[in-house]
Amino acid sequence: MTSGTEPAAPANVVNSGAPALEADNLAKTFGAHRALKGVDLTIRPGEVVALLGENGSGKSTLVKILSGYHEPDDGGSLRMNGVDVPLPVPLGEARHVGLSFVYQDLGMANDLQVVENLFVGHRVTSGFGSAARINWGAERERAREIFKRYGVDLDPSAQVGRLRPTSQALLAIVRAAQELREYRESHEGRGGVLVLDEPTVFLPENEKVFLFDLVRRVTEEGMGVLFVSHDMTAVREISNRAVVLRDGAKVGDVNVNDTTDAELIELVSGHRLDRATIDQAMTYRTEEMQDQGGDVVLAVKDVRGGRVNGISLEVHAGEILGIAGLLGAGSEDLPYLLFGDIPGASGEIRIGEWSGDVAELAPSKSRKLGVALVPADRKQKGVAADLPVSLNMLSLNLKNFMQSGFLRLDKILSTANERTKEHDVRPRDAGLKMSALSGGNQQKVVLARWLEQQPRVLLMHEPTQGVDVATRHQIYELMRARAAQGAAILWVSTDFDELAAISHRILLCAGGVIAGTMAPPYTRDRITSEVYSATARGGAREVSTQS
Amino acid sequence: MTTNVDEPAETTPPTAPARKSGAGSGLNRLLNARSFEAMLLPIAFVVVIAVFGIARPDTFLQWTNFTTIFGLNSVQLVLVMALLMPLTNGDLDMSVAETSGLVSIMVGWLNVNHGWGIVPAILVGIGVGVLCGVVNGTIVVKFDVNPFIITLATGSVIDGIAFWLPNQQTIPGISPKLTDWTILHHLLGIPLDFWYGIVIMLVMFYVLTFTPFGQRSLFVGQSREVARLSGFKVGNTRFWAFVIAGFIAGISGVINDGVLGAATPGPGDLLLSVYAAVFLGMTTIQPGRFNAVGAGISVFFLAVAVNGMSLLGAETYVQSLFYGVFLVVAVVGSRTINRRRAASAAAAAASS
Repeated sequence: MTSGTEPAAPANVVNSGAPALEADNLAKTFGAHRALKGVDLTIRPGEVVALLGENGSGKSTLVKILSGYHEPDDGGSLRMNGVDVPLPVPLGEARHVGLSFVYQDLGMANDLQVVENLFVGHRVTSGFGSAARINWGAERERAREIFKRYGVDLDPSAQVGRLRPTSQALLAIVRAAQELREYRESHEGRGGVLVLDEPTVFLPENEKVFLFDLVRRVTEEGMGVLFVSHDMTAVREISNRAVVLRDGAKVGDVNVNDTTDAELIELVSGHRLDRATIDQAMTYRTEEMQDQGGDVVLAVKDVRGGRVNGISLEVHAGEILGIAGLLGAGSEDLPYLLFGDIPGASGEIRIGEWSGDVAELAPSKSRKLGVALVPADRKQKGVAADLPVSLNMLSLNLKNFMQSGFLRLDKILSTANERTKEHDVRPRDAGLKMSALSGGNQQKVVLARWLEQQPRVLLMHEPTQGVDVATRHQIYELMRARAAQGAAILWVSTDFDELAAISHRILLCAGGVIAGTMAPPYTRDRITSEVYSATARGGAREVSTQS
Repeated sequence: MTTNVDEPAETTPPTAPARKSGAGSGLNRLLNARSFEAMLLPIAFVVVIAVFGIARPDTFLQWTNFTTIFGLNSVQLVLVMALLMPLTNGDLDMSVAETSGLVSIMVGWLNVNHGWGIVPAILVGIGVGVLCGVVNGTIVVKFDVNPFIITLATGSVIDGIAFWLPNQQTIPGISPKLTDWTILHHLLGIPLDFWYGIVIMLVMFYVLTFTPFGQRSLFVGQSREVARLSGFKVGNTRFWAFVIAGFIAGISGVINDGVLGAATPGPGDLLLSVYAAVFLGMTTIQPGRFNAVGAGISVFFLAVAVNGMSLLGAETYVQSLFYGVFLVVAVVGSRTINRRRAASAAAAAASS
């Protein structure tokens, strides 16, 4: 069938003791930034290796090199099952060299049936060539056999979109294992590596065991698994070894059973829990800490909705409140929840003088109450890429440009041009289409749009995602200035460097609740270790930060 | 998202990288790719007139031929304007032609069969048009369903009612006042109904370009998510767009009565020609956007071309062939132009 890429050497040369995956010196440089600094990785058949590291540590770069998405720097090598694989891995052909992937979004066609998703690309047919027909009966039967082999309880005819998230994840893993079947058949039934990239993030705690069982079955067949996760409990449950990345380099390769949580967290964060005091605080901020006496502008009590499971907090005028949580902790839903954009929300909320239930809010109402939302997904939610910068920037203030019944397009353009200077948007031409701007400049436009409204509450979600370093700092300055003028800012981020730099106060979020307040000083390493420990504990208890 | 019209929109496009033309002389400006593309339709218009003019100077190239074309295509002109608001919001309204037909019948039915005065008949008729828009908007927005299918369905219902009311008969004998005030009275030598169309076109141009409502609609059409998270009431905007469509379609129905002097059900075959015009209009005046003036020019471009062909002896079936071909050409053309332009804009931004 598809014989896109054959391994470089014939299958019979396979050395029986060879690791399923053996990577040497994988490196990746983006411009001046070395995202991955020569990492080695070995996965033996039947072994689960956890890949740990915080955001930006190089985990996803490594995974993307394996999938063929990134071309690694010269000097690296990859051997699968003892056979050299030429790099880069051809994009979309990874399974022919023995690699298959399950990503967080699972990549399922939700409207189709389980069988259709399972056999996508290689349907079970009867007949020959172009006369072949899909044999639905045989396909369902095959699916049942496969599910039985892996101990998974799934109905082949069910519509995938209607399955529980856990069942969808199981299906995705079975499919990925199944994708390696051809490869393994041509390699004496050996080898093959399944890469699971954060598959447990959005699954309920008590259902993760099904996933772990499945992973065990897969490894019993002799496949190797690379398990990329933030989830310490899950890592502990199924992995034999953990490889830890920090700042693009491998800083640990440990046997999970011989390593305590604290030691793992220390490897991830580069920070010892009991040496908190040695950390240098970011000096400019500690003074600001004192004058936190502004009025409470935003207060919420026991709000629920999405993955938020009962959060109470207060943000004062002039304060930047950082919310630190790993992906799936619930913090990623908080800004949208407080903006009134998550259906089925509940809980009390007070914004300035207005108070009521979160369910009463809607984006249009929140905006009237002086709330602004800067969403993480700039492409889908932040900008209208095909409209000009001027309109994107001033879309909320069109009424101010009405003059005797006409919208003054010329004034919009000239005002927007002024703002591009003010906020240093480059190029300084508000007539350009939004899509002609870089990510950082687009984000400045999004911020400018909201700042024009003079909001008293700003809800920020990963506001510097995909933004270059220089622009990041401009954004920090801009937001600090706004806070100084009395705005209350809620800043949700998984970039802990950023939270350390910007926050006056930091709350830890895990499992949909606030797991504790972190005491200063704030550094990336301390936040990382606190967040990981809060998450590992299940996030219910108060975090002691005084040591 | 699938309900969004695939609008290869572009608005004030980045000034194309004028490589050689340092200060940009007038000629270079004129010849640069962007304005050339925007000029394609007007140029084609002139070419079509020239060709038919040479072929049939005695019949085609007569002022009366043109005033006839202007007077007889005002129904299309107005109907095209009805499409603009929903399309800008990213919604397809397939029921405008049927709405227009029902309003025609309604006015005739009230005026002739029930002896109403022409003015109240017109007012109620247009009210029925608005009601059709309200129904469309309510169903589409409230239940968040695909507007293409829904308006196709409501269009069928509306059509059914339009045939049912007069028992599938044409209603003759509508008050001659209506005919007087549509095609018999002239202004600058052109029947009044043409001017009604022009007024509605200018109003739509104003609404789309110079009101916050029009500009918000652009956002809604571009991305519902962005519009919603900006605090726009996306549902409201879409709803009113359908209502406006029903209102304007109603006006076109009244004009149709005036032009024909009678009410006939079933002008459903207008739909394809108005869609051809509205997409063709995207290539000119404000390229990449559904725009009123471009759509208006396109209506007459298509009408003049069809008129010329029939003067050359083409059969009437050539019309539907021609409209179909032009709809494909218009959609593919504007898409290609925009894609090329997006690529060059990206290249320009990357090199700066």
